[in-house]
Amino acid sequence: MTTLSTPPPGSTNRTSEQAPPDGSSRRGARSPAHRRGNTGFVLACLLPALVLFAVFMVIPTVNVFRTSLYTWGGFSPDKRFVGLDNFRHLLDDEQFVRAFQNTVALLVVVTVVTMGLGLFLAAIMTRQRLRGRNLYRFVLYIPNVLSVVVIAAIFSAVYDQKNGLLNGTLRLLSLDGLQQVWLGNQKLVLYSVAIAMVWQSLGYYMVLYMAGMSSIPEELYEASALDGACATRQFFAITLPLIWQSLRTTLTFFVMSAVNLSFVLVRAMTGGGPDGSSDVLLNYMYKQAYTNSSYGYGMAIGVVIFAFSFLVSLLVSRATRREPLQF
Amino acid sequence: MRRSLVLTGAAVTVLGLLAGCSAGGGGSDSGKTTLKVAALEGGYGRDMYTQVVKQYEASHPDIDVQLQISKSIEDEITPNMKAGKYPDVVVLGQGRKAALTETLIKDKALEDLTPVLKEKVPGEDKTVGDKLTEGIVGNLNTNPYRTDKTYLMPMYYAPTGLFYNQGLLEQKGWKVPGTWDEMFALGDTAKKQGIPLFTYPTAGYLDSFFFALLADVGGEQFYKDVMTYKKDVWKTADARKALDITTKLLGYAAPATVGYANEQDFTKNQQLILDNKALFMPNGTWIVGEMADAPRAKGFKWGLTPLPAVTAGSKRYITTSVESVWIPSAAEHKDAAKDFIAYLYSDKAAKIFAKSNAIQPIEGIASSLSGENAEFYKVYEDPSVAPVVGGFASTAPVQGVDIKATLFDTANSIISGDTTEDKWQAALNGASEKLRQAGD
Repeated sequence: MTTLSTPPPGSTNRTSEQAPPDGSSRRGARSPAHRRGNTGFVLACLLPALVLFAVFMVIPTVNVFRTSLYTWGGFSPDKRFVGLDNFRHLLDDEQFVRAFQNTVALLVVVTVVTMGLGLFLAAIMTRQRLRGRNLYRFVLYIPNVLSVVVIAAIFSAVYDQKNGLLNGTLRLLSLDGLQQVWLGNQKLVLYSVAIAMVWQSLGYYMVLYMAGMSSIPEELYEASALDGACATRQFFAITLPLIWQSLRTTLTFFVMSAVNLSFVLVRAMTGGGPDGSSDVLLNYMYKQAYTNSSYGYGMAIGVVIFAFSFLVSLLVSRATRREPLQF
Repeated sequence: MRRSLVLTGAAVTVLGLLAGCSAGGGGSDSGKTTLKVAALEGGYGRDMYTQVVKQYEASHPDIDVQLQISKSIEDEITPNMKAGKYPDVVVLGQGRKAALTETLIKDKALEDLTPVLKEKVPGEDKTVGDKLTEGIVGNLNTNPYRTDKTYLMPMYYAPTGLFYNQGLLEQKGWKVPGTWDEMFALGDTAKKQGIPLFTYPTAGYLDSFFFALLADVGGEQFYKDVMTYKKDVWKTADARKALDITTKLLGYAAPATVGYANEQDFTKNQQLILDNKALFMPNGTWIVGEMADAPRAKGFKWGLTPLPAVTAGSKRYITTSVESVWIPSAAEHKDAAKDFIAYLYSDKAAKIFAKSNAIQPIEGIASSLSGENAEFYKVYEDPSVAPVVGGFASTAPVQGVDIKATLFDTANSIISGDTTEDKWQAALNGASEKLRQAGD
């Protein structure tokens, strides 16, 4: 109780001490010395955050770029400057190209499926007064709370070729011909990973879209219904344009999650295998930097990932730019 | 007044941040030397290290040993090493997934330990070199730069080879195959009874298989040529023969193998042996402890055999995994570290290690073994079987080339039919050539 009662007087004190000068002196003729004092104060307050930002974001990023120009094992003091050699090697490295292709494929597949399904489910949940929709929302959102390693464990149980949920169900339905070695077939393994990724993120995006949709005024739907618009028409003519802005934001999230999430999932679930067929960029970078002792080369891959995600986000944001619609 | 308080607060926060990032103090305060020892907690447990350290500290009162043991020791010491704080002694072999030892070898960041061999074991008359079994020092495992300088001291050795269920073979009246022809004949017989001949936990476990096979096929010189990337060595008839045998063997692999050959599921492949659903798999002696709690078929008994001979009566090799102990060249107390390493080979220490089944390559120690382990080490008593130690020679790092991955992981693609033996051979030759150029 005592701790609760002490702050208020302190805080009121501060406002009473500072608010008047601040409010009146914005453009007014306060003494420069006082202004400088203010700047100093602001700087001092910003300093911890700036130091943190510099130490944990700026310096490491610059280091990644710098290291990518060297040949270095990671420990020895002798780094050899090789210019853009690491990047030239990347072009001849088949496994890198394969990992790049896999990353792009995951990016496209996961984005399209998650976004399509997320929008569809969100529309149903908000527009159709579905019974038990809170339960559905809850169930769909749960995977998002789980750690990726847990998801990897769950899915390796689902995909298990003998007693797995998937093959077991297929057997039960007498569809034995459809049974697959989900994590062992090189043509399928990437999609197996993609499904796990969609499962993980679907609930999150659905909730995000639902929030956008529920803020659309009901009158718009009523008016369009009077004009004879069906639910599909309403979705494309009203819902989609009005949540366009949140859609754009999520597209950037998709790029990031496809790059990051796929790494953790692939590492925990397949290790990039069999024989590198489910390798993704970050996993390949990790392997090169830490197990192949080519730290500089790994960082060059890191630079490519950085540039790639940056570029894709930029392109996506440019391509989807629309005049924001208001309601 | 209040503002200055806030300012001070901000300043303290910044200072605190910086202090937090800087070195957390340490060092010797009471005149004692602090020796930092990092060890991998392998299948042998951690108890033996604490006991040895206790003994060492008792006889060396001026030294305080700081012991760090973990199952993923690389992850724990690497961040500090990047920051320039190196342990003084590291017990960690090659062939681990994180490849820390290999990285330091490639970076030439290890201390030359040749003098330790001539050093007397503390409290004894013999030198370390005298106590070690013959031939255990001087190979690529201990002298990674192909010189006569030893950088890694051999710590424990264990046979790796094909593990199987002795009970099943006895029950079916099958003999452990002595040649590859017998092996494949057994494969056909077993297939008729629905038991596949072969499986592997993950493709990486094929190291114990390949190193022995290469030596079996072409002899020690050929093995050395492959490990040191001799020009066009993968184009030779011997190399082709090794790949032929492997490809044929992979044709007998359990269908589940590839699907389970990943970090999550590899124990399911190992379980195939326990369940009598596959006959042989390449593995190491740690398998006994690793699968100790797993359910197993009735009458199950672990067996270990070297690879079958290429032709009847020819010499067979068994890949011997040797853990190493080394000193980073950036370590602080190198002399104390060397003395500590010499102590690890003392009779007292060896006794403690052997109690935990960690067998050091010291003359006459294998006789103190008991149980399943004693049987595993018996493979060395067969006069036609010789140990093969080592692995690929270290070169300067080559971007994007990982010959172990090319050699082992491709097995997955061979089984699933995604690549051919010819392509495999070509890829191996390409990788080997790039590494040869980097090594010169």
